[in-house]
Amino acid sequence: MTVTIRAELLTKRYGHNTALDSLDLEIQRGEVFGYLGPNGAGKSTTIALLLGFIRPTSGAARIFDLDVRRDAPAIHRRLAYVPSEANLWPSLTGGEALQFLGNIHGSVDDAYRTALVDRFELVPDEKIRAYSHGNRQKILLIAAFASRAELLLLDEPTTGLDPLMEQVFRACVHEAHDRGQTVLLSSHILSEVEALCDRVAMLRAGRIIETGHLEALRGIAALRVRAELESSAPDISRLDGVSNVVVDGQTIECDVTGSMTALVRALAAAGVKNMTTREPSLEEVFVSHYRDRSAATGSDR
Amino acid sequence: MSADIVQLRAETAIARRAFKQLWIGAAAWALVFGGTVAASALSYVSSFPTASSRHQLAVTTGGDTGLAVLLGPVSSIDTVGGYTVYKCFVFLTTIGAIWAMVAATRLLRNEEDAGRWQLLLAGNTRPARATAATLGALGAAVAIVFCGTTLIIVLAGRDAKVGFGVGEAVLYALSIAVAPAVFGAVGALTSQLGSTRRMATGLGIGAFGLSFIVRMLADSGPHARWLLWATPFGWTELMRPLTHNDPWPLVPAAVTVVALSGAAIVLASRRDAGAGMLAARDMSSLRPFGLSSPSQLALRLEFPVLSAWLAGAAAAAFVFGIIVKVTTGKVPASLTKTLGRFGVKGAFANQYFGVAFLLVATLVALVPASQIGAASDEETSGRLAHVLAQPVQRARLFAGRLLLSGAAIALSGLLAGFAAWLGAKTQGVNLHFVSMVGAGLNVVPTALVTLGIGALLLSVAPRRAAGTVYGVVMWSLLIDLLGSIVARLSWLDRLSLFHYMALAPAQRADPKTLAITVMFALAMCVVATIRFGQRDVQRA
Repeated sequence: MTVTIRAELLTKRYGHNTALDSLDLEIQRGEVFGYLGPNGAGKSTTIALLLGFIRPTSGAARIFDLDVRRDAPAIHRRLAYVPSEANLWPSLTGGEALQFLGNIHGSVDDAYRTALVDRFELVPDEKIRAYSHGNRQKILLIAAFASRAELLLLDEPTTGLDPLMEQVFRACVHEAHDRGQTVLLSSHILSEVEALCDRVAMLRAGRIIETGHLEALRGIAALRVRAELESSAPDISRLDGVSNVVVDGQTIECDVTGSMTALVRALAAAGVKNMTTREPSLEEVFVSHYRDRSAATGSDR
Repeated sequence: MSADIVQLRAETAIARRAFKQLWIGAAAWALVFGGTVAASALSYVSSFPTASSRHQLAVTTGGDTGLAVLLGPVSSIDTVGGYTVYKCFVFLTTIGAIWAMVAATRLLRNEEDAGRWQLLLAGNTRPARATAATLGALGAAVAIVFCGTTLIIVLAGRDAKVGFGVGEAVLYALSIAVAPAVFGAVGALTSQLGSTRRMATGLGIGAFGLSFIVRMLADSGPHARWLLWATPFGWTELMRPLTHNDPWPLVPAAVTVVALSGAAIVLASRRDAGAGMLAARDMSSLRPFGLSSPSQLALRLEFPVLSAWLAGAAAAAFVFGIIVKVTTGKVPASLTKTLGRFGVKGAFANQYFGVAFLLVATLVALVPASQIGAASDEETSGRLAHVLAQPVQRARLFAGRLLLSGAAIALSGLLAGFAAWLGAKTQGVNLHFVSMVGAGLNVVPTALVTLGIGALLLSVAPRRAAGTVYGVVMWSLLIDLLGSIVARLSWLDRLSLFHYMALAPAQRADPKTLAITVMFALAMCVVATIRFGQRDVQRA
């Protein structure tokens, strides 16, 4: 596989504050990569570094095997960027902003742009000052998708979009994926990431705490088990990997990580009427990660 | 009962917040207004020390209707008070009116455009009360201008040769405060009418222009003098401060302020937040001009502002050209001596233009300040990020912006030179065309240095760039004027940008100095361009 984005020990400090700490990241071509983290985790700093907007304190980043600072114009010709704050030129109309962004990018699929204007229900003759926040965001999304750029850097791109437009956005990302475009989607909307991304990285206080395929991440998270027993529930709280045990009569619920063999044996001894297991959602994985790490480190940075 | 107390606190907080945004500017204008009045009075008693020289000036100038139309009350020019009021009339009323009107639209409409006003309204207040609180803060700022100006006039009046009484000083300061008070209320009203700050300010400027023209018509002859009662500038003029001291025109001024403020408060409660009483044109078909490159877009977005600066510089030079007519009469030696303190020599007309172009140079030097401000806003608002994420060279982008400012500066100088020549021509005074255009272009290198300073600041600390450049230009003018009035402070001149500019056409511009100045400005621009390409982009 070809690597589209590669960051090595990428670090950004503002005085004593470390915004990004030794980031190592590889994103393959054609991948939709989710970049997760709470507010202030360093997601936007990463994207600003990748765009060459800010200088790294140490480390390096390359896109298309080019240096993000030195070769910025050459890289930018092949990417499109959507920030979360759509501060555009208030006196231009939406159509004029699209025209301008298309002109300076130099690559626009006009027919696709027209189709996107319809799909996102944008009124292009309206001045930007009269647009709602969501409508201003649509301009940037349309400009980015219509550029057919090889790489889409999307930094919380659906801020302000209504659920219907969120669906249109997801469809556009799927189309981009099908065409082989690479997408870096920074978000804290977990359902969005879950629906769109192949792999995710979880960022906390400037550091990546987990990277991998969604399935793998779910695998390392606890599985929720619920069993109805034929006799009274055994004491399973001391078993390896078992936590959050709740007993209600002959019904027992718990979380289990790792091997389930010991748990199944203990429950089988009590007689199992029925048993269900449920994989955690990305949200549960996310919350569990950040809660556990916060508890381990004492406090957030 | 507790709810009432909370409401009072909300409005107090709004008023305090507004006042915090205004008081420094108000104090600065009080200093400028008072200083201008004091400098005019002191320079008059020094330039025209005898009754005969004052009489001579009155004969030359006092009956000139053209000057009265342009500059206001000229008839009592043979007294210290009459000359001071005449000399300061247009400058102080114009600056005061525009400052207060722009402040009102900034506090009311601009806050609403940005969505901050709606945040305030979400608190325990109502639109009418919040508007009234803001107007209260604006009134307090005007009061600062009044008090500061009064104090300085009183101090200047203690000079035996000037001899202004305290009562006279208070009345004169009140007459100066009429324009900001009325046009502050005009700005409050247009902020309710217009749905954008641009529209509100445009309506306010329109009201200002109309009032100014009515005043000019009223001064065109005795038959139209009654029109003075129809314009705020007329009320100031009718008070005839420092000579006849008539307080009655304050009555229509006070009534107008109350009526306009009341209308603004009522309208604030009768319209939707974010909307104006007048519909804005929010729909437009695509206009392709300026959409091909970042520099072209900058030109498109800045075109109205740059046009206003060009028109302002040309209009000021045109007025200076018209006033040169005074030189066709016999000029007192003392006035020649006063102008000589700036270092200008030769024929009086040349001396006069040498100093007049110093003021034009100030206006032209402010052109890059406004452009640096626009560039800084582009970056700190986050709009620049959309451009920098495209395949554009940062250095080329920055250089394009500087080139646009440089072109505007050169055009301003050229137009100013031409306008001064044309102004004189309309009065039948024939000046050497090339010499006048050269004098206009002579201000360009100094303004380019201002651009270089602004560019350097922008490349290091964009949020502070515009304010600092404005400060540098105003400081330069102030110490240049101060150095010419107070001989002991003439050494300060060296700290002024204008010290290194020949006062053409009175002084011959040295090509070597001009070349060095331009090269210095270019060097600063080049360093700034390189630095801009290296530093972190500031985020919104």
